[in-house]
Amino acid sequence: MQDIHMNETANRWEVQLRKGCLELVILAVLADEKLYGLEILKRLESGSELIVSEGTIYPLLSRLKGLGLIRSEWVESHGGHPRKYYSLTALGRRRAREMAESWNKLNASVSKLLPSLAITGR
Amino acid sequence: MADQTAERKMEAYLGSLRQRLRGMDRENAREIEVELRTHIKDKASANGAMTSSSVEAALTALGSPDEIAREYLSGYVKSRRRVLDGLFRRAGLSIAGLTVLLGLITGYFTGAALILCAILKPFHPHAAGLWLLGDDEFSLRLGFGNPPGNGKDLLGWWIVPVGFAIGCVLVTLTTRFALWCTGQYRKSLA
Repeated sequence: MQDIHMNETANRWEVQLRKGCLELVILAVLADEKLYGLEILKRLESGSELIVSEGTIYPLLSRLKGLGLIRSEWVESHGGHPRKYYSLTALGRRRAREMAESWNKLNASVSKLLPSLAITGR
Repeated sequence: MADQTAERKMEAYLGSLRQRLRGMDRENAREIEVELRTHIKDKASANGAMTSSSVEAALTALGSPDEIAREYLSGYVKSRRRVLDGLFRRAGLSIAGLTVLLGLITGYFTGAALILCAILKPFHPHAAGLWLLGDDEFSLRLGFGNPPGNGKDLLGWWIVPVGFAIGCVLVTLTTRFALWCTGQYRKSLA
């Protein structure tokens, strides 16, 4: 019973952690080029181990656009479907750099504590 | 060529999503629908023609209309809250921002006062209304206290439909103006 509770807590923590990084990785994949939703998903799947639910990515893109971090434009595809391409705004680029810096600092400081955890771990 | 069942499944999903996005403005909701339709078509036809089972798989991967609408709407509400936050910040930064803020306060205040007057008229029929007090002095009264002695109630019972309609239009226009200003502000940052 206690094990099940521990697993649930660990899973929830991992989900929150992945969710927290998602904003940063989306801004990162848009740093160099314009991409549409499905392309962003494919980049995230191939370039990281983040498992992103398809239903999460579109509302998140909409939220980032609302924050002024990304912009979008409609482009007609070869198949005739209109595709919404996203790219970074100047504000988004600045924010992505700040987030990457915070991420690196946090990663470095947490990593310092992990070896002792491995030694004393069960 | 897509089979008809596949198309029907996709349209039923999008229709259901449309229903759940009714709280959002039309343009936003339409863009979401177009974007997701393209996503479903791309996913379902990745290995050839779009079939009923490939559409089913694409919709399952996307999640239920309920879940996806909830995600969109929670972001949308937060974004609306940020509209006012942004304007208040802007007001602190520039004269243009302060002018916009004063305009918004005036618009919302007048709109709300007209709606309130329309609502209170049946409870205070002799005092609530738009009054002409002197040659060119107007007063919008909610009906608390005595009616002005030598004033004239200009609209009478017409304040109910007229006040309500003009009040709603003012609140809507002020909100649109607020969103437009925020859009301009975001563009200036981009």
